[in-house]
Amino acid sequence: MWRRLREAARRAKRNPLTVVGLLMVALVIVLAIFAPWIAPHPRDIQVVHPDDLFRPPSLEHLFGTDEMGRDILSRVIFGTRISLRIGTLVVVLALAIGLPLGIIAGTFGGLLDEILMRVTDIFLSFPPLLLAMAISAALGPRLENAMIAIAIAWWPWYARLIRSEAVSIRERAYVEAARAVGTSWPRILLRHVLPNCLAPVIVQASMDFGSVILTSASLSFLGLGAQPPTPEWGLMITVGRTFFLTHWWIVTFPGLAILLAVLAFNLTGDGLREILDPKAKRW
Amino acid sequence: MISYVTRRLALSLLSLLGVSIIAFTLTRVIPSDPADMWMGPHATVEQIERARIELGLDKPIPVQYGLYVAGFLRGDWGTSIVTKQPVLRDLGTYLPASIELILVGMIIAFAVGIPLGILSAAKCGTSIDHASRLLSITGVALPSFWLAMLLQLVLGKMLGLFPLSGRLDFTMEILHAPHRLTGSYLVDAVFTANWPVLRDALWHIVLPAVTLAMYPLGLSTRLIRTTLLEVLGEDYIRTARASGMRESKVLAVYALRNAVGPVLTVGALTFGYSLVSTFLIESLFAWPGLGRYAAKAIVSVDYPAIMGVTLLVAATYVILNLVVDLVQAFMDPRIRLS
Amino acid sequence: MTLYLRAFRTAAAALAVLLAALGLSLPLAGADLQIAVHVQAAEVVPVWDPSDGASGEIALMNNVYEALLRYNAVENTFEPILATSYEKSADLKTWTFKLRQGVKFHTGNVMDAAAVKFCVDRTIARGRGSAYIWGPVDSVEVVDPYTVRFHLNMPAPLDLIAAAGYSAYIFDPAYSDSDWFNAGHDSGTGPYTIDTVEGREKVIVKKFADYWRGWEGKHFDRIVFLTLGEASTSRLMVETGKADFVESLPATDIEALRNNSAVRVEVNPSLQNLMVLYNTQREPLDNPLVRRVLSYLIPYEDTVKVALGGYGQVARGVIPHGLWGHSDRVETFTYSPTVAKALLAQAGYPNGGLKFFTTYPAGYDDIRKTVELWKAACAELNIELDARAMPTAERNAIARSPDPTKRQDIYLLYWWPDYANPDSFLSGMFYSQEKPAYNLCYYKNPTFDALIDYAITLPAGTPGAIDMMVELQNMLQREAPGIAVWDMQYLRVTASSLKGYVDNSAYPNVVFWYNCYRE
Repeated sequence: MWRRLREAARRAKRNPLTVVGLLMVALVIVLAIFAPWIAPHPRDIQVVHPDDLFRPPSLEHLFGTDEMGRDILSRVIFGTRISLRIGTLVVVLALAIGLPLGIIAGTFGGLLDEILMRVTDIFLSFPPLLLAMAISAALGPRLENAMIAIAIAWWPWYARLIRSEAVSIRERAYVEAARAVGTSWPRILLRHVLPNCLAPVIVQASMDFGSVILTSASLSFLGLGAQPPTPEWGLMITVGRTFFLTHWWIVTFPGLAILLAVLAFNLTGDGLREILDPKAKRW
Repeated sequence: MISYVTRRLALSLLSLLGVSIIAFTLTRVIPSDPADMWMGPHATVEQIERARIELGLDKPIPVQYGLYVAGFLRGDWGTSIVTKQPVLRDLGTYLPASIELILVGMIIAFAVGIPLGILSAAKCGTSIDHASRLLSITGVALPSFWLAMLLQLVLGKMLGLFPLSGRLDFTMEILHAPHRLTGSYLVDAVFTANWPVLRDALWHIVLPAVTLAMYPLGLSTRLIRTTLLEVLGEDYIRTARASGMRESKVLAVYALRNAVGPVLTVGALTFGYSLVSTFLIESLFAWPGLGRYAAKAIVSVDYPAIMGVTLLVAATYVILNLVVDLVQAFMDPRIRLS
Repeated sequence: MTLYLRAFRTAAAALAVLLAALGLSLPLAGADLQIAVHVQAAEVVPVWDPSDGASGEIALMNNVYEALLRYNAVENTFEPILATSYEKSADLKTWTFKLRQGVKFHTGNVMDAAAVKFCVDRTIARGRGSAYIWGPVDSVEVVDPYTVRFHLNMPAPLDLIAAAGYSAYIFDPAYSDSDWFNAGHDSGTGPYTIDTVEGREKVIVKKFADYWRGWEGKHFDRIVFLTLGEASTSRLMVETGKADFVESLPATDIEALRNNSAVRVEVNPSLQNLMVLYNTQREPLDNPLVRRVLSYLIPYEDTVKVALGGYGQVARGVIPHGLWGHSDRVETFTYSPTVAKALLAQAGYPNGGLKFFTTYPAGYDDIRKTVELWKAACAELNIELDARAMPTAERNAIARSPDPTKRQDIYLLYWWPDYANPDSFLSGMFYSQEKPAYNLCYYKNPTFDALIDYAITLPAGTPGAIDMMVELQNMLQREAPGIAVWDMQYLRVTASSLKGYVDNSAYPNVVFWYNCYRE
């Protein structure tokens, strides 16, 4: 076990970008947890300051203030909470649907498998953003609905991924052996199939975290997600777009936050793949 | 091979059918009154009722769906509630602008991405490699609408290098009326030797195309690099090197051949992705393409337009994936010869 | 690998040469054509049919079509357009208009009384858009080819109606098919006619050579109407001289633009306000105390300052400043959290704990900011405004849903009259409607209805009528089924070189381009 850790550490050293990614993710998590203490003006997620509108970046307001006089730095920091919440909930929800379906379909095959494949085919024929947009519009513009919409758009990917892993595992000798000995299916699924599926799932999930944040920001940008005055980054950009040519700071910093957060998760996921699964034929 | 092709075709059609059912259900679930929108403001309740019957909205949903499909196959994709034009005609009006934008974007993406990917693979592990990996992951992570605004701000307003929006200056449009052959100003200008329009159109397309190019750029760099690394690790490469072949020739002969597959895949995937990406950036650039039309349709709950756009985009996605799959299957002798 | 670098460099070099060559290309010829650019906030043509309009197309339509008269709200006078003169009977039920002779439609046919009758009849029959303004009309009579007489079933200011910005256009009966209009054609008499159309976002019109006023003097040859959908880009366009008129810009831009000599900023009065309608049929909003609580929680002064940038006024009653019927005798709410708290306790909710599903139009910064300010104030008393920005179609489907449980608690909207008439504010939103159209507070008060029925019979602007309006507004104030938050102003930005533009609040957002020229 120590050897594996040491090997992992060695691989990590060869991947400085991954380390950077992990550090950035850690930063995001720290900011999210300690937001009320780190943010200089924590009440600004709701409170409005009519006398402080549109202040450019200064010592008092490092990122400037927005069109309602609120400190942008504080709102960006609180935005980390929302982004983490969205990413976690969506990935968990998508996995909750996709994991069991994929494992069962992959392990047992047959009609179940066919049905799952066809259903996921249909979902995968939609570009994910389009499906999320349509579902969001149908459910109504709220952050919660946007999360559900994105999860519905996302689960087929996991289902397919896990299914193909499960398919390759079911052919393996130890599964045959376990069946021959009379082990029940649930036990086989839990002890043999599931653990071996996890590696690609973890990789995909950590990369998806970033994509989910991006999709959610896009939905908010279109007015289909978070509602004012939530300090969601995409919403801050769409609200600031009326003024950005003359007040550049209103859209620049939230956008930078999105970029860095997504970058962090992408780098981490990418690096995790190199570390956990270096032989994986993926891009 | 034939059975493979047939099977894939059948599956694709099934997928499209499923897509249409889902899209139709979604548009009916959105709380909205298309009849109300159709009649416009200040319409009386009786008129809205009449419109509802005219538009067939009083029938049960499965019946409405059946009527829609029947009309669809006849070429009647419904009438947009917002533009009052047939949806098919609207799509024809706006699609060329988006395709032009996406193609230019993809040309930029591949022109930069492929060489960068090759370079990155050749210099694997060095700082160049790390830099290009960072660039490609950033390209994929960039929020496109934010990049659009940034480019407008810096290159458009501050440096004044490029126009902020539109496809053409009005004076250009009025004085040098570009003939509409394909709907692409660039292509039409070349064919009609309309140089002022060509220049103006090029200038206008730069910012939106660069914005759109970032995702395919990131993706293609990554994919080329990975595929090349795999290929370069193969035995026959070692043999070729051992026999004294020049590195550049190794890359040229083997690398490029193997790059074709990934490029096709990226091309197909990103075309579909870019079509949706345009929803976000066309509004910012006042680019009169499908994306702006679709974003407007979703926001105004223009359900025939939403159906039309969704089916078009999904069909494009499906067809492109099908083509890529078939090409790869064709190149795989195991399937071709079966 | 150097092979590829080389190839790449060659390609880049070729592209650079191509761009340079194009860069040095020919200068523009024919630049004498006077082209004006009119940037609108929303779509240029939501509705093509001249009988049906009620919104954004007004700016384009009023340059392509004409009505019998044009009203000047400031001076309260009428300019003869397609009618040269008119007479009204003593009981205001018979109106006779003499028409201008020799006016040609863009199609080549001549305008006459039969055309006027056809247009008004058609508009009434179609009944869409603002057609209801012709409600008092019983019949239209063609007296002779250039005289038309309207017979009304009740006294009404038909001159105001005939001068309306919507649904009062005269067009060629021979070219009046709705599909033809929707395909982007027009058959009006106006100075400009439709040249090219790009969806509903851009329309270019060109001079109509046979326009009845003639083309002496300086005029524009082409007008480009477009909507960019981006205030930031619109502003840059007018600053760099690429646009001549921008319909509206955010208040913050206005301040900055005042110092720019290339543009001219105009702050004009409007008859537009922001209304809040409470669902009076649902608990707890069926209790007037609760409605009053919410009304005391709107930070009125701050909303004008933050949302309107100071360009507007806190409303005093439902009828806005500048329209007769508006009066200082109308009582009004002010921002008083302490009063609100006391009333809240009185209503039985001393600790708050209320939640209201609120909808407001998407895409309007000033409304959004107002909602955010209100939401923050309510939160202090533990009242949650679950506020959602939604497109109109969705909001109205919810608001007019036959199932009352699906409707919203609070509905916000802009309101402005179709023609300068205070009754629009009262009847439109508060007269009981079985199936609600815009009475989205679902208010049913027979006394109120009866009073309105009486009020509209009084001649406009007389002390008796004004008193009636004041009483009606105070009645609404006591019950508070809905309130007005602020009256806004129109912020127009034009190029300094644009001359001849005069804002006319009876035709909001319209520029009569025929009168304009560049200097």
